[in-house]
Amino acid sequence: MMEPIKKVCVIGSGTMGAGIAAQVANAGIPVLLLDIVPKEGTDRDAIAKGAVAKMLKTDPAPFMSKRAAKLVETGNIDDHLGRVAECDWVVEAIVERLDIKQSLYEKLEAVKKPGTAVSSNTSTIPLANLVEGRSDQFKRDFLITHFFNPPRYMRLLEIVTGPDTDADLARRVEDFADRALGKRVVRAKDTPGFIANRIGTYWLAVAVNAAMDQGVTIEQADQIGGSPMGVPKTGIFGLIDLVGVDLMPLLSASLSSTLPKGDPYFETVREMPLVDKMIAEGYTGRKGKGGFYRLDKSGGKRVKQSLDLTTGEYRAEQKPDKLPGKADKDLAALVTVPGKVGDYAWTILGHVLSYSAKLVGEAADDVVAIDDAMKLGYNWKFGPFELIDKLGPGKLAERLAAEGRPVPALLKSAGTNPFYRVENGKRQYLTAEGVYRDVERAEGVVLLEDIKRASQPLLKTGSAALWDVGDGVAAIEFTGKMNALDEEVIKLINQAIPLVKANFKALIVYNEGSNFSAGANLGLAMFAVNIAAWSEIEKLIAGGQAAFKALKYAPFPVVSAPAGLALGGGCEICLNSDAIQAHAETYIGLVECGVGLIPGWGGNGEMLDRAAKAKMMPNGPMPALSKVFQTISTATVAKSAAEAQELMFLRETDGITMNRDRLLADAKAKALSLVDGYTPPEPPTFRLAGESGRVGINGAVRDFQKKGMATSYDAVVSDRLAEVLTGGEADIIDTVTEDQLLRLERKAFLASVKDPRTQARVEAMLTTGKPLRN
Amino acid sequence: MQVYDAPLRDMRFVLHELFADDGFGGLKKFEEFTPDLLDAVLEEANKVAKDVLLPINAPGDIEGCTYENGVVRTPKGFKAAYDTFREGGWASLASDPEWGGQGLPESVNKLVEEMICATNVSFSLYPGLTHGATTAIEGHASDELKHAYLPKMVSGEWSGTMCLTESHCGTDLGLLRTKADPQPDGSFKITGSKIFISAGDHDLTDNVIHLVLARIADAPAGVKGISLFLVPKFMPNDDGSVGARNGVSVAGIEHKMGLKASATCQINFDDATGWLVGQPHKGMAAMFTMMNTERVSVGVQGLGINEIAYQSAVAYAKERLQGRSLSGAKRPDLAADPIIVHPDVRRMLMTMRVYAEGCRALGQWCARALDAEKHSDDPEVKQRATDFVALMTPVVKALFTDLGFDAANLAVQTYGGHGYIREHGVEQFARDARIAMIYEGTNGVQALDLVGRKLPANMGRNLRPFFHAVSNLCEEMAPKQDKALKAYTGGLQQAFGALQLSTATIAQKGMKDPEEAGAAATDYLRLMGLVGMGYCFLKASKIAYAKLAEGAGDDEGFYKAKIATAGFFFDRILPQATAMFLAIKSGKRSLMALDEAAF
Repeated sequence: MMEPIKKVCVIGSGTMGAGIAAQVANAGIPVLLLDIVPKEGTDRDAIAKGAVAKMLKTDPAPFMSKRAAKLVETGNIDDHLGRVAECDWVVEAIVERLDIKQSLYEKLEAVKKPGTAVSSNTSTIPLANLVEGRSDQFKRDFLITHFFNPPRYMRLLEIVTGPDTDADLARRVEDFADRALGKRVVRAKDTPGFIANRIGTYWLAVAVNAAMDQGVTIEQADQIGGSPMGVPKTGIFGLIDLVGVDLMPLLSASLSSTLPKGDPYFETVREMPLVDKMIAEGYTGRKGKGGFYRLDKSGGKRVKQSLDLTTGEYRAEQKPDKLPGKADKDLAALVTVPGKVGDYAWTILGHVLSYSAKLVGEAADDVVAIDDAMKLGYNWKFGPFELIDKLGPGKLAERLAAEGRPVPALLKSAGTNPFYRVENGKRQYLTAEGVYRDVERAEGVVLLEDIKRASQPLLKTGSAALWDVGDGVAAIEFTGKMNALDEEVIKLINQAIPLVKANFKALIVYNEGSNFSAGANLGLAMFAVNIAAWSEIEKLIAGGQAAFKALKYAPFPVVSAPAGLALGGGCEICLNSDAIQAHAETYIGLVECGVGLIPGWGGNGEMLDRAAKAKMMPNGPMPALSKVFQTISTATVAKSAAEAQELMFLRETDGITMNRDRLLADAKAKALSLVDGYTPPEPPTFRLAGESGRVGINGAVRDFQKKGMATSYDAVVSDRLAEVLTGGEADIIDTVTEDQLLRLERKAFLASVKDPRTQARVEAMLTTGKPLRN
Repeated sequence: MQVYDAPLRDMRFVLHELFADDGFGGLKKFEEFTPDLLDAVLEEANKVAKDVLLPINAPGDIEGCTYENGVVRTPKGFKAAYDTFREGGWASLASDPEWGGQGLPESVNKLVEEMICATNVSFSLYPGLTHGATTAIEGHASDELKHAYLPKMVSGEWSGTMCLTESHCGTDLGLLRTKADPQPDGSFKITGSKIFISAGDHDLTDNVIHLVLARIADAPAGVKGISLFLVPKFMPNDDGSVGARNGVSVAGIEHKMGLKASATCQINFDDATGWLVGQPHKGMAAMFTMMNTERVSVGVQGLGINEIAYQSAVAYAKERLQGRSLSGAKRPDLAADPIIVHPDVRRMLMTMRVYAEGCRALGQWCARALDAEKHSDDPEVKQRATDFVALMTPVVKALFTDLGFDAANLAVQTYGGHGYIREHGVEQFARDARIAMIYEGTNGVQALDLVGRKLPANMGRNLRPFFHAVSNLCEEMAPKQDKALKAYTGGLQQAFGALQLSTATIAQKGMKDPEEAGAAATDYLRLMGLVGMGYCFLKASKIAYAKLAEGAGDDEGFYKAKIATAGFFFDRILPQATAMFLAIKSGKRSLMALDEAAF
């Protein structure tokens, strides 16, 4: 058993260092953040302190909660370096200068305890150079941990060890990064740029050069090089704008100075007068005046403009024509489209994929590491080798050869074999030696993705499925578009309950979509509204209430395991569960009021119940009521699982998992922990505030309206919500049952959905993605 | 015999009573037009229709248009009738006062159009196309073109056409070949041949202004590369008089099944001078402005013929003596009973009658939306009206023309052998009505427009004004105790349920397989039309009951007849909704089952 890491020191409080410190704190681990002593001023810790203060205002937030921010202690290198003795791991994230890093390590060596891990967050300097002149002990304790920006949100961590690095120590850091920091660790070799940035930089250079050479507009480039290749829709130029145009020459200089001679990267290096001019004029991307894209506000209006690569002038954005045929979905079709589209696509893929193939063995051990690095570090939907499989195994090598270009050995040896295959329900990858090996998950990781490959669903409807996830636990997976909830999900829940009761110990609600669920299918609901199918809508609401209640009172424990968005109905299914095991990056909330609706699947009662039972809640119905009213009426969404706990969507007994890959295993464990002696919860009875509570709330809402903080329709929606939360006709001395509350909820929901102002809001949300404030 | 007297009482009913609460609000712009004034307009229009247009309807059909040496002549009396029509201001009734029009609402204009189409649908095309062309010019042309052409066209001195079709391209306009070469002065030289050009040339006006779809060199392929041009027959002089002949010539006229007094021309453009209307390559958008109003007007052609067919059949059924009533002689004083005593003759007459009244009401609803779309100050109302018009345009066009032809056919049947011969002029209705199901987009294309474009747009938002109106009326009427109303409401609820289910089915299936939507299209359009008419009849009955309860005086007969007519609709016509629903539900399976070779 490894000693857990109990305290961390981060040296360097720039964006990366501060962000890493924040993520350590997010994991509940105290962290010491050090930076240099400022040249001016009296506060010798000012730089590190300033970094923390800045992070508290940054959006998206580096901290998951205010509580986490309090775990960061600030200091300076001159006075506090000795305190690294308190720490189990020191992360260096200072300026990318070898001499400065080396001199810091020298000082560190003097104060740190042997066995305390030291890692550098360098993205370019080889490990061998970093440890030059250090003791053997230091070399044993040293490794590179390369985080991606922003450290809280990017899931990739590249770890590089040297020949002297102690394997157990590296594993200890890796384990901490995995379980506590939530990273998926990819082991990289000690080569320049490691994996993701080496391929990423090459990719961008090839794509930018080709666009210029082939007369491809930036819009076309982003269209062709974006979603058809599984790249985020920022594509090429949109991504450069996002990360900063000024970063391009820096990356180029750094890779050029360290890569071995003959690396294909050098063929992409050339003078970039246009980019130089952009940087000189302040067009450094989104952080500057704009980049390849900009918003021109000169005419009083905001007009989207794009840089013409030939003239170097901005012009109105030109929406490219749709890609022909299946080219937007089928890579093989894309690269064979005659003319610009196919040529450009082939230039990118031909280069980037063969470069990636060349790097197996050189920068990474296997194709899985490279694919993981690109997927988690650059948010590609598919890694390079998955792309090769899509293009057609063999085709890439064939076309390279036909064009007289070198074919990497790996491609040659693979022949027409795909890089991935499924054998006996297991995903396997092709090794450089030409044999297939199972893709191994980190120890303790269970993925539904793998289970699905090896088994058939127990039940399946149009929008959900039920799986056996092992150890007597079944899992409900949402499968509809955006994991939206609809009658098909309800149907599955109803079918699942007797089956789980008969054959399983516990049920979890879990999926591996990018979002748990953004709630009911609004588009479908809107269509039903448009054709005045009121009875169908009523059925959907009543059906959802009944199904969620059936989950709640089922004779086995139910655990929901959200990750990403869990909104509206997606939140309510969690609220109706016995427990929640949430991924740290869970954004949960009851957002119905934002579109003029009110929660309709039991969310109101569950929130009232949570508030009434909360430890710190003062007595009487009013405090709980106002807390719940405030959360729901303002459509508040928690920005993390930690914040969800503060907002009472999560109870104190609910769990948080930092690593997305470990959520299923944790949820299973949580569910199994509830099995012994499980009895379904007692239905709550509510003491609600009645008429008098309503008067108080209405007064407050009218006040907001007067101040312009709420629209007239906000007030109407708030009234409907207040009607439910105060128990309708209930008097303060009456108790209200759960069923009565559900009835009120249905009534208020239907009144809302029939209101044209709600219809206008929903429609605006569906068409523009933005809330309408009517 | 062709018998016509405009159904003024029913027109006043739909105009003033039926849609007093149409959801589009009163329009400030039209406040100056008092109900009395509008009634007077309708009465005068009736006179023109009866006394000027009807007398030349049958003779015009027999004589037809003639073509000789490149010149097209309309039948005898048409020029004089056109002059009377124009001088009476009928050509400019609904046009914008800015260009010399009288600015009457469409809600009235569509009723006047009905009268014109009823009495002489061939004639109606000449002013009708001019009105459509002015709409497109008003909406899309430069100010210069507007000033040069609109006053003359609005007054009816010059007429207009729309030149879309070429010999190889009808529905699929993306294939068209007519070329437009840009000239240094900003004009274009247009070269190409167009066919099926209604009112393409004639002797009624001094000049004919063609709106021509053509392709500028290097334009993108398909419909995205089509531009709209204004090409006059004669170049106008600065003083507004007619100048030199442009390179536009008529190669001949078509010999048609009906509509013989309307000149359907083949037109050659040979380096003809034209000017761009709207943006380059955006011709379809400009053309659709015109097409959309035209499509509603073509629907009104169906309605007009429906009405005159009905009246002509009623006249005959009352005087034709054959056989005896099944329940015993009704007119023992005569040699035989008039055939109107027979249930099956009643069936035919009632069918024609409910078609006409139902379409008139539905058309009025749509016309009011057209007014609100154009003139409402309230953006929400405007949006609702736009959505409603978008949804209803294909329904009005296809439903009204299908039913119009059916009615004309029933009129022939009522006349028996006398309907089949030319003498009574009844077969002309059937021949004249037939084309309206084809042009301005065949009724099959209308149905595709409805299911493929109008239904899915914005998550079905176009459906909302119509579906909510029907739903609200059903909800309002459900608790009513009156037996007849209860039955009517039940009927509408059932048909509406079928429509809702069909809509959901098509939306669901059509998203996965467009052929499923295509297979449902025509039945779905009819189903929606039936529900639309049912809505109008239930609403009309509700009003009629209320009026009778408060004492209707002279109008008692009218309201009682309205309730009885509605009864026929709910008993005998609306049940077709169930059949439509079943057909839709069956999907494309049986339509596509047969191998092509087996045909």
